[in-house]
Amino acid sequence: MATTENLSLRERATKPRPAFRLVPLLEPRQKVGETRRIAVYAASLGLAALLSVLLLAVSGVPPSDLGTEIAATAFSSPRALGSVLAQMAPLVVAGLATAIAFRANFWNIGLEGQMILGAICATAIAIFDIGPEALRLPLMMLAACAGGMGWIAGPAYLRQKLGVSEVITTLLLNYVAFNLLLHLLYGGWKDPVSSFPHSEQYEAVERLPQLGWQTLTWALPFAGILAAALWWILSASRLGYLLDLLSANRDMARAVGVPVAGLSLAAILASGAVAGLTGFVISAGIEGRMTQDFHVGYLFNGVLIAFLGRNHPLGVVIAAFFMAVLVQVGQSLQVFFGTPFSLVRLTQAIFIICVAGSEFFLTYRMNFRSAS
Amino acid sequence: MTTGLALRSVTKRFGGFAALEEVDFVAHGGEVHALLGENGAGKSTLMNVACGIYAPDEGRVEIDGKAVSIAGARDAAARGIGMVHQHFKLVPAFSVLDNILLFNPGRPAAEVGAEAQRLAARIGFDLPLEARAGTLPVAEQQRLEILKVLIGGARIVILDEPTAVLSPEEGTALMGLIRGLADEGAAVILVTHKLHEALHHSDRITVLRQGRTIAETTPEGMNPAELTTLIVGEQIVEEPELSSHVGERVIWLNGVELAGDAGRRGLTGLDFQVRAGEIYGVAGVAGNGQSELAEVLMGLARPTGGTVWMDGENITEAGPAGRRRAGLACIPVDRYRHGLAGRLSVADNYAVNGVLAGRYGGWMWLNRAKARARAREAVEEFDVQGVRGMGQRAALLSGGNAQKLVIAREFEGETRVVLAHSPSRGLDVRAGAAVHARLRAARDAGAAVILISDDLDEILLLSDRIGVLSDGRMAAEFTAPADRAEIGRAMVSHGDD
Ligand SMILES: Nc1ncnc2c1ncn2[C@@H]1O[C@H](COP(=O)(O)OP(=O)(O)OP(=O)(O)O)[C@@H](O)[C@H]1O
Ligand SMILES: [Mg+2]
Repeated sequence: MATTENLSLRERATKPRPAFRLVPLLEPRQKVGETRRIAVYAASLGLAALLSVLLLAVSGVPPSDLGTEIAATAFSSPRALGSVLAQMAPLVVAGLATAIAFRANFWNIGLEGQMILGAICATAIAIFDIGPEALRLPLMMLAACAGGMGWIAGPAYLRQKLGVSEVITTLLLNYVAFNLLLHLLYGGWKDPVSSFPHSEQYEAVERLPQLGWQTLTWALPFAGILAAALWWILSASRLGYLLDLLSANRDMARAVGVPVAGLSLAAILASGAVAGLTGFVISAGIEGRMTQDFHVGYLFNGVLIAFLGRNHPLGVVIAAFFMAVLVQVGQSLQVFFGTPFSLVRLTQAIFIICVAGSEFFLTYRMNFRSAS
Repeated sequence: MTTGLALRSVTKRFGGFAALEEVDFVAHGGEVHALLGENGAGKSTLMNVACGIYAPDEGRVEIDGKAVSIAGARDAAARGIGMVHQHFKLVPAFSVLDNILLFNPGRPAAEVGAEAQRLAARIGFDLPLEARAGTLPVAEQQRLEILKVLIGGARIVILDEPTAVLSPEEGTALMGLIRGLADEGAAVILVTHKLHEALHHSDRITVLRQGRTIAETTPEGMNPAELTTLIVGEQIVEEPELSSHVGERVIWLNGVELAGDAGRRGLTGLDFQVRAGEIYGVAGVAGNGQSELAEVLMGLARPTGGTVWMDGENITEAGPAGRRRAGLACIPVDRYRHGLAGRLSVADNYAVNGVLAGRYGGWMWLNRAKARARAREAVEEFDVQGVRGMGQRAALLSGGNAQKLVIAREFEGETRVVLAHSPSRGLDVRAGAAVHARLRAARDAGAAVILISDDLDEILLLSDRIGVLSDGRMAAEFTAPADRAEIGRAMVSHGDD
């Protein structure tokens, strides 16, 4: 039996060989240069754009119209651009919240719940007029942080002490938060003026001021400052370095004396706090009150943006801008071409898959050469 | 004798760096062929070319005299080439059988299971097919790796430093096993740093140096000194050298207990002390509590009883950070688990102690340029080879050079206590001697050095005092120069004398 097996192996061993291989060998790269990184991302985005255009063309949006549509809805007028930028602000904050948690290997799927708690706490400060007017906004901000942190503290504790998967706990707490929100908005916090299920309108001192250009408020600079601060912390500070070490090899980090439990807890709480701020930015910066559906879609978008931005604050800003354009264009496609919303989501998915796939070309070198 | 595997003037470059240059290597069926060379000489790379993981830039691979082009590991397996890698490639959460099936896809589980059992019995070991791979001891994981490639029908079997993680007894058993394979007609290639394995268990020897073949010879008439000269280009003689000045007690374990659980031996009433200026060797058969002792010393495991004292302070409750601040340096046994973060750069891996000690700035600012410069100096000083940039990922260093990087980092500051757990594992003779010199230098500078090793030669060479760990406690203590046979007896006495 052994001999026949060997014989067949021998036959296979000597089958003719082609001059080059169709299936390349993959060899790990030792390091990736910046130019290559940028080129690979650009190529993957180009591919995604191409596929999306094809997909839309098949479903009845002519590519030429698509071009003008994008230009018109996103870039043609200051008004269009202003509305893209306004959409972008909360997306940046949501992306940052998710990215921080992901950097600490904590799969925070509870962004919406934390946003809701952040907004509820901020709104409490607003409707009960807590604190002097000059400090009202900062107080609301702090309250939003506290709310988000509080909502993530439970899952953090369960994960660290009992090893309960945070994917389940953070996800389920979203529903708890949503029902709490409904309870408040249909109950005691209903708008006394209109009796609609949203909170009363914030007073002027409780809203982020207008920038004086289009409809933009301070929400956008706020998101920018937050991104810059996190960029600093994650790439230039000791905290960021230790966080990288922790996510690369937790056992090693512990053995060399990195306070792993404290550090991951800090990162998780920070993620919750920033998630809470997302609720604050939407309520105080855009809506001017707490509505019942302000959070819808942010969980998904937050994960997407963090992912596309590779958990890097600057990447998050770029990805959020991108997403805002997609959302805006998607809305107008729905209106003018009757494109279904699912198709818009599908194009977003194409972008993610392409960027995700590009990672592969950064990690490996492909060798098509056959031995000479 | 048939030609099994031949590599003809193989060149392999990574970026601009030539890891292999026109290397020739031939292994015949029926022989055990030892492949030797310094750390970073290119042994693993050459074998990766042979088993289709890398494509050669130039040159060719021949099987039974026919040039072949191997399209990846799967194809190599189909052509009868199987490799057991330096770092095992098992899925820890999978059962033994599933791991075998993963490597031999498309065959019915029952058939593979039966064959595994048959084959294992034939080569003289048994494996629990249902056990999870991750829970097996290292030696059994390695047997699983071997079984995996044999069931695939391998007749060219490559073992990359297989005995590095084994105890001497397990190593000897493995040598018997591979001889059996060769007798059945397989070409066995044994990559190793242990000279006696090449001299006593191989039929032919190929030596690589800096990516070139520099010798092909037979072990007959060779002695270790000649072989060393071939490998590193110089004679390396290590002589025992006892401490000249032993000072006060630095570290003291008093009745330390550690509860054992499934797969872990406990420690029971462990007592010993190490003084400044001495090397205390912990000898013992592997699995008698060495890893547990190391974890207790590193501060990774809290003892369930007893106390640990360092410089007169009770550090039983202190974690790794506190102990390091007090001057503890550790060379862990598993460098990819407790020593390095493979995904991060050489500079980042080196910097961690300095960062924690605040040498590169406070909490909000990290002076990366300074950290990088410091890492560059250390890489030079400790002769870590294959580093072509500080931004290079640590995972791609050769095994031995990764170890040197850990050592460079741990010896950076002032040390009071050095814990070295099998520190020369995977190192070539010269690098091993360099590590030994570092340990002696630390001792002579007044540190208390604890050397845990399965290798009795290493213990005898370095230690001023020797404790024998058996069944989780110190069964006996000896003062150097000690009698080898007596230590050997204490090692197997199970502490009941
Ligand atoms: N994928 C890679 N990219 C870049 N360089 C690499 C890669 N793989 C290996 N090298 C480099 O090639 C050289 C040879 O490495 P190799 O792993 O073959 O050494 P080795 O002889 O097996 O050493 P050791 O005994 O330490 O395991 C080293 O300098 C290593 O850093
Ligand atoms: Mg190697």
